[in-house]
Amino acid sequence: MLFEVKGITRTFGGLAAVRDVSFRIEPGEIVGLIGPNGAGKTTLFNVVTGFLPPTRGEVEFEGQRISGLLPDRVCQRGIGRTFQVVKPFGNMTTLQNTMVGTFFQDADPRRAKRAAEELLEFLGLAHRREALAKNLTIADRKRLELARALGTKPKLLLLDEVMAGLNPAEVADLLGLLREIRTRGTTLFVIEHIMAAIMAISDRILVLHNGGLIAHGPPRQVADDQAVIDAYLGERYLIA
Amino acid sequence: MDLMLGQVLISGILLGGIYALISMGLTLIFGVTRIVNFAHGEFMMLSMFAASVLSQQYGLDPYVAVIPIAALAFLAGAATQRIIIQPLLNASHASQIFVTMGLSITLMNVALMVWGADFQSVRTPYEAVVLPLGPWSVGVPRLVTFLVAVAMMVGLMLFLNRTYMGKAITAVSQDRMAALLMGIDVNRVYVVAFGIGIACVGVAGAVLTPIYSVFPTVGQYFALTAYVVVVLGGFGSMVGAMVGGMSIGVVEALSGYFISPGLKEAVYLLIFIAVLVIRPSGLFGIVGAEEMGVK
Amino acid sequence: MMQEIGVVARKRRATVPVRWYMTLGVVAALVLLPRVITTPYYLHLLILVLLYVGLSSAWNLTGGFAGQLSLGHAGFFGIGAYASTLLFLNFGLSPWIGMVVGMLLAVVAGAAIGYPCFRLRGPFFALATLAFGEVLRVVSISWRDLTQGSNGLSIPFKPGFANMMWHGKEMFFYVILVYALVAVGIVWQIERSRLGYYLIALKEDDSAARMLGIDTTRCKLYAMLISAALTAVGGVFYAQYVGFIEPYSVFDVNQSVQFALISIIGGLGTVLGPVLGAFIMIPLSEMLRAAFGGAARGFHLVLYGLILMAVVMIVPQGLALEVKDRYKRWWMARQSAISRRKGQADAV
Repeated sequence: MLFEVKGITRTFGGLAAVRDVSFRIEPGEIVGLIGPNGAGKTTLFNVVTGFLPPTRGEVEFEGQRISGLLPDRVCQRGIGRTFQVVKPFGNMTTLQNTMVGTFFQDADPRRAKRAAEELLEFLGLAHRREALAKNLTIADRKRLELARALGTKPKLLLLDEVMAGLNPAEVADLLGLLREIRTRGTTLFVIEHIMAAIMAISDRILVLHNGGLIAHGPPRQVADDQAVIDAYLGERYLIA
Repeated sequence: MDLMLGQVLISGILLGGIYALISMGLTLIFGVTRIVNFAHGEFMMLSMFAASVLSQQYGLDPYVAVIPIAALAFLAGAATQRIIIQPLLNASHASQIFVTMGLSITLMNVALMVWGADFQSVRTPYEAVVLPLGPWSVGVPRLVTFLVAVAMMVGLMLFLNRTYMGKAITAVSQDRMAALLMGIDVNRVYVVAFGIGIACVGVAGAVLTPIYSVFPTVGQYFALTAYVVVVLGGFGSMVGAMVGGMSIGVVEALSGYFISPGLKEAVYLLIFIAVLVIRPSGLFGIVGAEEMGVK
Repeated sequence: MMQEIGVVARKRRATVPVRWYMTLGVVAALVLLPRVITTPYYLHLLILVLLYVGLSSAWNLTGGFAGQLSLGHAGFFGIGAYASTLLFLNFGLSPWIGMVVGMLLAVVAGAAIGYPCFRLRGPFFALATLAFGEVLRVVSISWRDLTQGSNGLSIPFKPGFANMMWHGKEMFFYVILVYALVAVGIVWQIERSRLGYYLIALKEDDSAARMLGIDTTRCKLYAMLISAALTAVGGVFYAQYVGFIEPYSVFDVNQSVQFALISIIGGLGTVLGPVLGAFIMIPLSEMLRAAFGGAARGFHLVLYGLILMAVVMIVPQGLALEVKDRYKRWWMARQSAISRRKGQADAV
């Protein structure tokens, strides 16, 4: 078992953004996290990756406690993450951005550069490698965020709405890439709003509502769950 | 011994009043714009010269000259914000800090050019008058300064809490983006805040002329202390400026007395660093803003 | 700077050596300069320029690359100057060794002020470091037994390499030239290394940097320590060159401001910025003083202040990047003009 979240609660003043959430993620899985806006998904990510300390509860990764560690330590344990609002290093090029990721594995600039170039090939960004990150389109920025995170060779990768703002063709492309990433050995934990995408790609789905986990299981089961329909889906969601 | 200590304490409190008076405008400006204005001391210096000139040419008492000087200072501050600072609001910290530094150099040397390096003094009939307070004594100019500081604090608090512009200023201090979204003309708020802030330091300059000599670099002497007070009290807080000012005044007086006059600056500077490290929001300020910069 | 290296390297491999030749040419010219310029005044000016190239490059590591605007670097400058001078005066220790001691002390001071203060944003960090420099100034004035207070310390003239003192200015010129080259070289090396990438990244976005495994505090600390050490070395050379140090000149806020100013005008976070800035600002202030110093007291400084404000407002990213931008635009335009002409020729 790769990743275990035990009773994580995070409150802000009187408001519980995340309430007693527990789940596990096994190696090689793709686990989806869905829920209405304000459900606490990004807060959960922030707690789990060390940007916020949990008010209660623990997080374990590969049997070791990581709750309370700072983000750079969390990354060093093997967890990577992208952000909902992308954070490119605007004044560096696409290649340089990716190198910041690949430097994690190797301090030598030439090898880091080569590894970065391979990643950019993989993600279809090689043609933009000299462009300044601030000049990239939103779709390219999302890919860059992904490339950068992959540079650290994480065992578990947390993706926060990596498909937001993409058109259906781009979504389909990205889905293919994500499956390839999983095949290459990275476990994925994905927050997403695009139902078609998340249902298609996830082995299991967690549903968060008002900070609490209201459903948990394979996509079909979750889509049929009445609580999920009431809280989020709105009507019975037909899976093709 | 006790008598001496008491006198030291009193002079510390009165000194604190002076620091508070100088810092109140700064805490307002800093609270709103989050720009370290290195020319703050120079505006005070210029108003001191203005008071000196008015006293020499027209025999105007500094406590009366305060009014025209405050008005002029307001205009100067508003102009500075509008012309110099506003274009740089979205630039790097470095640019903002250095443009005010350039302004500081310019103003200081304009004064040097116009009035020369000699010390000027403003003579008033009451400057040496001392009022008895029990076994101790209190100088009249320092007492007046203290009272003006208190009055300024009350006045500014009323302004910030009761008037629309004051509340707008507070809103912008807390969250610039949210204020913008609420329809507040942020640029106008900045201009008014800067104007009021410099007007305050203009008042301070005029009121301090019976106590301190006037020379082109006098502003530098007080500038860093003003920042210490602003940070200690919590920027944006008038009460904080008063309490912070008095704390620094007392600390300075006591350090001079117990440790050594040469090291008293070092003591409050070390306190300053400690406050920045431990509780940067100061005694009464907005917690967290100092780590996020301008929101 | 970095995208320029990338562009140049990718476009034409042959272009890279040109940059090397240019640098070598400049260095060779500088080395030969004392043969050409024999007027002591101009040599003195050059020495000052090179000294500030070194000092501002050092500052730039903390201020430009790590993004922590320090206004207290005069503290490290003074630590270097006083350490080597006191050891020389009291124990006859060669300033070359005193330099190492000064570097160590500066590193300790840098860690002490940097570590707790790095999480402070822009203006607050600036104020904290300003206070740090001032504390050192006040203490050095007060601690008369150690430093002779405001009287300062005079270094008796005993020429010789071990004493780091020579007749005339030529030897000083070469020593400080080496200092400038080493400082710029260190910054250039860091920029291309992992530390350099990490520093620029954490300056752009601290959270994103952390999530890529970067210990941002440790990186900033490294930058600060190297910066402090290099600045202290500059302080030692200054002390030996001028022969006299006092709190008001070495621990002066204006000294700190000067390091920062030169980097900002030249371009924060670039290798060439401090070089450009020093070569412009030092002669500029001298020229102003020479031209207007007699007119009215302070007039040349009024001009200096106005120019400073104008440059900051018009070219906020610094002159180095502005020059680079214009050069790139000119180059791109020339490239497209050439290919257009080629296309027309082919069509015919």
